[in-house]
Amino acid sequence: MMAGAGRGSASPVATEIVRNGLIAITEEMKSNLMRTAYSMIIYEAQDFTVGLFDPAGNTVSIGIGLPMFTRGMSDVVKAMIAHYGAADSPERMEPGDVLITNDAYLTGSHLNHITLVVPIFDQGALCGFSVCMAHWQDIGGALNIVSRDIFSEGLQVPILKIHRAGALNRDLMAVIRMNVRIPERAMGDLNAQVAAVKSGARRYLELVGRYGRDVVLDAIAAIMDRSEALARERVRSIPDGVYLAESYMDDDAVDLGKRVPIKVKVIIAGDAMTVDLSEVALQVKGFYNSGEAAGRACCQVAFKCLTSPTELPINEGSFRALNVILPKGTVVSAVKPAPMQRWMTYPMTVVDTIIKALAPAIPERVIAGHHADLMTVFLNGRHPSDGKLFLLPGGLTGGGWGAKACEDGMSATICINDGDTHNSPVEQIEAKYPVVVERYALREDSGGAGHWQGGLGTERVVRAASEFNFNTQVERVYCRPWGLFGGHPGSGNQVVVRTNDAVEVRLTGGKVQGRVLRAGEAYILRSGGGGGYGSPLDRPIEPVQRDLDEGYITKERALGCYGVVIEPKTGRIDPDRTAARRSDLRARGGLIAQRDNEDAGALEATIAEAPAGRFFTDGLMFPLRCC
Amino acid sequence: MTTQLNKSATFRVAADVGGTFTDVVSFDEATGESSYGKTLTTPEHLVDGIVTGVQKAATPFPGTRLFLHGTTIAINTILERTGAHTALLTTKGFRDIYEIGRINRPDAYNLFFRKHVPLVKRSLRIEINERMSARGDALIPMRDEEVAAIARDLRMQGIKAVAILFLHSYANNDHELRAKRIVERECPEMFVTASHELSQEYREFERTSTVAANAYIGPRVRGYLREVEERIAREQFKGTFFVVQSSGGLYDVQHAQRECIKMLESGPAAGVIGTRALCERLALRSAIAFDMGGTTAKAGVVLDGEVMMAGNIMIGGYTEGLPIQIPLIDIQEVGTGGGSIARVESGGSLRVGPQSAGAAPGPVCYRLGGKEPTVTDANLVLGRLAPDRFLGGEMKLDRAAAEQAIRDRVATPLGIDWVDAANGIIQIATTTMSHVVTRVTTERGLDAGDFAMVAYGGAGPLHAGLVAKELRIPTVIIPPSPGHFSAHGMLMADLRRDFVRTWFRPLANADFNEMERIYHSMEDEGRLTLERDVTDRANITTMRRADMRYVGQEHAVTVDLPMQLFTARDEAGIKQRFDEVHAQRYGFHADAEPAEIVSLHSSVIGWLDKPKPKRTPRGAPSPEAALSQKRDVYFTESGRFIMTPVYARERLRPGMRIDGPALVEEYASTTVVFEGDVLEVSEFGDLVITIARS
Repeated sequence: MMAGAGRGSASPVATEIVRNGLIAITEEMKSNLMRTAYSMIIYEAQDFTVGLFDPAGNTVSIGIGLPMFTRGMSDVVKAMIAHYGAADSPERMEPGDVLITNDAYLTGSHLNHITLVVPIFDQGALCGFSVCMAHWQDIGGALNIVSRDIFSEGLQVPILKIHRAGALNRDLMAVIRMNVRIPERAMGDLNAQVAAVKSGARRYLELVGRYGRDVVLDAIAAIMDRSEALARERVRSIPDGVYLAESYMDDDAVDLGKRVPIKVKVIIAGDAMTVDLSEVALQVKGFYNSGEAAGRACCQVAFKCLTSPTELPINEGSFRALNVILPKGTVVSAVKPAPMQRWMTYPMTVVDTIIKALAPAIPERVIAGHHADLMTVFLNGRHPSDGKLFLLPGGLTGGGWGAKACEDGMSATICINDGDTHNSPVEQIEAKYPVVVERYALREDSGGAGHWQGGLGTERVVRAASEFNFNTQVERVYCRPWGLFGGHPGSGNQVVVRTNDAVEVRLTGGKVQGRVLRAGEAYILRSGGGGGYGSPLDRPIEPVQRDLDEGYITKERALGCYGVVIEPKTGRIDPDRTAARRSDLRARGGLIAQRDNEDAGALEATIAEAPAGRFFTDGLMFPLRCC
Repeated sequence: MTTQLNKSATFRVAADVGGTFTDVVSFDEATGESSYGKTLTTPEHLVDGIVTGVQKAATPFPGTRLFLHGTTIAINTILERTGAHTALLTTKGFRDIYEIGRINRPDAYNLFFRKHVPLVKRSLRIEINERMSARGDALIPMRDEEVAAIARDLRMQGIKAVAILFLHSYANNDHELRAKRIVERECPEMFVTASHELSQEYREFERTSTVAANAYIGPRVRGYLREVEERIAREQFKGTFFVVQSSGGLYDVQHAQRECIKMLESGPAAGVIGTRALCERLALRSAIAFDMGGTTAKAGVVLDGEVMMAGNIMIGGYTEGLPIQIPLIDIQEVGTGGGSIARVESGGSLRVGPQSAGAAPGPVCYRLGGKEPTVTDANLVLGRLAPDRFLGGEMKLDRAAAEQAIRDRVATPLGIDWVDAANGIIQIATTTMSHVVTRVTTERGLDAGDFAMVAYGGAGPLHAGLVAKELRIPTVIIPPSPGHFSAHGMLMADLRRDFVRTWFRPLANADFNEMERIYHSMEDEGRLTLERDVTDRANITTMRRADMRYVGQEHAVTVDLPMQLFTARDEAGIKQRFDEVHAQRYGFHADAEPAEIVSLHSSVIGWLDKPKPKRTPRGAPSPEAALSQKRDVYFTESGRFIMTPVYARERLRPGMRIDGPALVEEYASTTVVFEGDVLEVSEFGDLVITIARS
């Protein structure tokens, strides 16, 4: 531990003032972008991240946005430094530049993520970078398909200058305009991003102007040192050892039913943590790959959650105690030309699996599995009012989160890929698009039973008011959110289509490409619940009664999983008979719970597929009946 | 005169009931004199504190014409969860909207995050088989019998309040209105409230939360207001009773008993209204209102004579709070106040707040058990507060204990000396407070340096000079009795009703007739309720605004629309206004991009005549007569303690000039004039401090 946080020319007080200043700058960039962005996905879904970086490209402060973007922006800045610093580069970075790229293998994500970077110069000397990554609703590429390579996914913009010494690069703008479906919107989002990065650069220069370049840079170094010390202290409190865990993804939307194993190894040694992702599946044919930045980000996200979740600013120092082993060519370190459109999906399960690995080591600090999918749909068609193309990135319904050692899981919350991401108001969606939302509700019984119960998923029923194409890419239908320490898994995610003769067609997987929904037909999204924690037989009867009374669980669940006895006349749980039944159940290993809490749909689908040998990975994580 | 007349009644009285103190300000129109009564709040029986305060201010109730009231009862009922047993009637398929919320996780890495907790439990969120479309067509017509049967059932269950939210009620309120009448008919004693009465803006979760909160607090707030009414009637009050809304406008007590949620933040709102009035008397166009108390610092903005408004607030904070979607004054808040604790955290960083020692245990120097040094302790050891003169000497402060705590808990762990530690605590507090000011200025596209800052609240005058310097604000104004400024602001408020109605239309297709009709219906409703209290119609004015955005954009900005744009049906003019506002707030605009309207806003204002502040001609500049002592005070610029003159505010007279460094002390606060700054007393007794450019 250091004596005080001062370093070089920065006193502890100056360091704290600079720290407050950096957080305020990134918050301001964030609100500037949000308020000016065109796309719903930037404003409502907050699919963006802003940040400040030191002259070497290390993260100084990130305003999220997406938690998963702790790595990609820094990697982009470093690549730009290398690009313009190369001996054969015809030009250098200079004041007034705004740099741009959407290179998916740099950002680790998909082409929709456009990153803008302003190098900040103080009296000619580079003193940092202001950066903004945001999701453009459309970047060209094919619709209604599973892409098999990056070239099908739209326009690729290498590292270029969109402003050169203050002058707009009109050629590049023309190329972009020609390659995207709704150029006005893309240009609007681009303007918003330019405004955000410029405001960040301006404010950072003000900070430098007020306190001096050396003080600010020394303060930044001190902040990183302190974040490092904090994280190391937390890692030291984890028992040394090698911890393993495994899970799997349903499939890659090409080889249907072929499970994609996710195996992780976590090594704790003293104050350092190593996460080894060598045994994560190799990159897949369908568009679920992500780049190395995403693979590293998975480890960073899990690491931050377990060491310093609320410490700000998010900076490079927080991650110095983390080593990542990640060979190229896995699903989270894919190489060109792997398709990347759904980059965000698998990493969430990787994060959850890392956390699961550490459960035996730090049971009080971990969380059971969550629904781990954005639950997005993508609709496109002609709007009946004007015949124009509409693109609706919908869904984002939220799902269940896992229970913890001291608390039930939270219900209906966005998955770990996203943070301050909002769903869209039903009243807004219906005003803009030809849909009627029939229902948006909690999904009863979906939380895994346990001493602490997993959070509930949601159900959203959306009827087509006119014909459109329906796409969805939901994962984790089969690999349900796991419980911990005897807690049951939550329900898996589900996608259902309701036809006009009112038949509900439960899709075997959660993936649909360009299915035409006719007026009156509906799609139904059911997000999974969180896993439970501890044996359900240990759950006190008061919360079981409350959940029954409030309708969060059904009587069948209470009887089947919680082993309670309900007085038929009053509907009240009988404490004495419950105690007796529970002790009997415990003696028999809690068998009743296992028999009664099965997801009939998933069971049916897995039985159908089992003969083809497609259900299990070699780790055999889940028996046919999860619980 | 515009309100109900009583010739001999010349007082107007404002009572601001806060968590700790009840502040009463009384203004006598006959003499132009103000008097003050500060008393401890009486939580068991709030009205007792009010009556005591009014007595302390030596004001007779029979001689009072206007009684203005600000209260924290609404917000406390929510924060303490002490509201009524409440049910919610909502559209079939949507009872969980209130619990699902917006699904966001602001603490993105915190596995132990928590969501908001609804005020109405799930089993009391009851679905009605009805449905409106976004255009206001009844896709499923509501059946009255279904509602009536449910209402009877709720009565049997002992439900005290019912909130009603149906989807798209902003487009067609027929179902909500009918459901409300049915419930009222079946359950006459129940508090019944429908969402469209409070908000006609889209966003079903926010509207649900708003109407549910109104129902939840309704019975208690209504009971409280009735009690106050009865009590002051017994004291022979015969004038008019108004309550302050979060918009800074007043509404009559009957109205307040129905739309209770609108009085959420009346105290802070009144402070900004007071700032606006102060701007008027000093002929300032714009100012920042800066309010610093024991636990928080707040900032609001007056721009070109108008208070800047916002459309919603989260009660209980952004992460786990409940949203309330009503027009209110845009006030940003940070957890930095006199009681904020300075702490060296593991890793060796110095943090100030957001933990607060509050009033108990309080700062170390209060000797009430506080062990951790606070901002107040730092001010004391630096000489800015005097140990024997706090609250007029009523409370002795322990300087030695404060210094010891700063040494042991801050200076030693950081390896710096205690003076630097104390000064550092104040500098850090200053930067966090300056960020709350930039949140209402810079983030709105405004430059704080273009504003004067009006500072009040117990701790505001101590810190305003530093915050101003940090933000290059040229002028700081400390009004008379800064500790009573919110109550004073209530005296300066007008009657006000605000309406917002969602009306999605591309501007190019906007039918001016229809728009006119909507504005008229809002304006008529507003006039109708105000006419009872404002006899002269000429004193009722209306303002029109619209939330607008570029087509395809999600977030809207609120644009003031002068009436002539409507008279002239000037679509291009509206677009131009929008472009201007967008450019100002966000740094760019798009002439060529089409715009669309999201919501129409109407504010109807019933102007009351205001107390005329007493004006005293300026006298000689020498402050000698007001000098009360000299003592050692630390100043950063010189980096040392300086023997500093201390003046008594009550002896300062208009025209007096004080060169910093200096202190001005009054009953509940101390103003610091920093080195290089110059204070001058205005004709109204304000301390106007010109801040030296650093």
